[in-house]
Amino acid sequence: MASLLQPDRVLYLVHGEKKIRSPLSTLYFCRYCSELRSLECVSHEVDSHYCPSCLENMPSAEAKLKKNRKRICNQLNENFRCANCFDCPCCMHTLSTRATNIPAPLPDDPSKTAMKKAYYLACGFCRWTSRDVGMADKSVASGGWQEPDNPHTQRINKLIEYYQQLAQREKLERDRKKLARRRPYMPLAFSEKYGLGTRLQRQRPGAPITSLAGLSLKEGEDQKEINIEPAQALDEVEPLPEDCYTRPINLPEVTSLRQRLLQPDFQPAGASQLHPKHKHLLIKRSLRCRKCEHNLSKPEFNPTSIKFKIQLVAVSYIPEVRIMSIPNLRFQKECQVLLTLTNPVENITHVTLVGCEEGDPEDINSTAKVMVPTKELVLAGKDAAAEYDELAEPQDFQDDPDVVAFRKSNKIGFFIKVVPQREEDGDVTVSFKIRHDFRNLAAPIRPSEEGDAPAEAIWLTHHVELSLGPIIA
Amino acid sequence: SDKMSDKQSAQKSAKIASGAVVCVESEIRGDVTIGARTVVHPKARIIAEAGPIVIGEGNLIEEQALIINSYPENITPDSEGVEAKTMTIGINNVFEVGCMSQALKIGDNNVIESKADLGRNMILTSGCIIGACCQVNTCEVIPENTVIFGSGCQRRVQTERPQPQTLHPGPKNVPLWHSE
Repeated sequence: MASLLQPDRVLYLVHGEKKIRSPLSTLYFCRYCSELRSLECVSHEVDSHYCPSCLENMPSAEAKLKKNRKRICNQLNENFRCANCFDCPCCMHTLSTRATNIPAPLPDDPSKTAMKKAYYLACGFCRWTSRDVGMADKSVASGGWQEPDNPHTQRINKLIEYYQQLAQREKLERDRKKLARRRPYMPLAFSEKYGLGTRLQRQRPGAPITSLAGLSLKEGEDQKEINIEPAQALDEVEPLPEDCYTRPINLPEVTSLRQRLLQPDFQPAGASQLHPKHKHLLIKRSLRCRKCEHNLSKPEFNPTSIKFKIQLVAVSYIPEVRIMSIPNLRFQKECQVLLTLTNPVENITHVTLVGCEEGDPEDINSTAKVMVPTKELVLAGKDAAAEYDELAEPQDFQDDPDVVAFRKSNKIGFFIKVVPQREEDGDVTVSFKIRHDFRNLAAPIRPSEEGDAPAEAIWLTHHVELSLGPIIA
Repeated sequence: SDKMSDKQSAQKSAKIASGAVVCVESEIRGDVTIGARTVVHPKARIIAEAGPIVIGEGNLIEEQALIINSYPENITPDSEGVEAKTMTIGINNVFEVGCMSQALKIGDNNVIESKADLGRNMILTSGCIIGACCQVNTCEVIPENTVIFGSGCQRRVQTERPQPQTLHPGPKNVPLWHSE
């Protein structure tokens, strides 16, 4: 039954700020802390931006700001969108450029016409074209399309500049007060650099936006005074059109909320004002353990590559339990369930299973009693060449046939006995602890005194929960 | 290819006009009339169960498309007062791969995309595009130039009609309908 292999049937418990139960395939393993980590107990960092349709890499935000400090307004308007690709304003699919031949008069001889190529944007999904909103065909295939200007852009930019300046000034005043006692000769501008330089301070929730971090004042630069006019309240408002209540609605012309809100600066009410917007960029993110600051996942920079530079995923280090077959589960009757245990590392791993004790605070979901094998299970190492090597010696592990059902390279099948304790609807859930040895191959911090000693084994324990399905009456 | 063939009786025959290309691997059952320059690909099925089907000129019926004039669900062939309704399909329509159409009246220049599903009580006018996998089973006349797309069968009106398809000359090296 393929449904037994669904990832959410077997959950591992992660000890972090929150106790999270999640399938092993979604977890990471910090081999410096020797602990499981879930997505919620790691910090996510943006590595790079790329466009999902043209796969062009954009330098990260900080690199952009370092180069173009003065062009603040343009950065905020660019808003991490691709320069070449557009989204359909109607269905948000990616627009493709199509060409047609139109007759156009020759520049030398207006009486003759030649076929010239004209390009327009079209959506293959909803059949929207740029001609629907009155955009003229362009003579170049790319780069000719402009987003319409917003009449309020100037006012908004001026407001942003003013408030940025205000924020800078306030911060300088605060720092001036702090440093006045300690180092009066220290240039004032340095305080900001030290303030947001280290990673620890950046991670504080509520810390100021890092995008403004690089905008510290240079020494001796004159600060230009920016003044804004306050907004003026008007008494007279444009009246509604007379046929506002009587005119029948032309439904195809009305934009849907989703179409309207995806263009927050215009929010057009009519479909004939829906202009295409540049495509939003996606990010590549890297994950970092919050305790030891090591990277757990770092993708490659190239958008076309799906590989990772660093990939410390849990399935490569922790033995994985999977459900193989379940008999009919009956209330308060002992049933034998077949599970498999797979060893992901190349050395032999010893695994001991222990049932949860009474009053175990981690055991909150189980609805059945479970009897796990008492003997230690030995898993052979993962050998990539084994399937091709026909002369391989059969492994001799002397398994107890009551416990181990079968053994195949780095995997074994073993039995557990389950006695469902609750008659209600819902899945029978059992939990137990799995204790295994782990050889840490990460570089040792201190050089070993005895020369090349083999890596020491430490014992790790994980709490595992299995969802076995409903009771069959 | 000039083929005219009358099978069995006058009622249950397939009339194929000159210039049409109908592959032998297609299934045509019942009283079906196919206009000139219409192409019917292999594995397409045109089934006239509850009445005749009249297909106009220049249509393109791709593989595994199903055009069926069948009895509505609550009526059996033997019940009284059941009139045979004719299904009419206009010119220059495209029935893409795997679509199913039971609509009794289809106009001109429509496109029914792959795996779309049209109910019996629909009437397509002209220039309509029924998007891929869209199931539309309402009792209405679809206005001209309507595009139905998306998982929620959203609708919009297109202002540009795509160029009419230059019809394929038909699949090559496939046995065609022969007159007897």
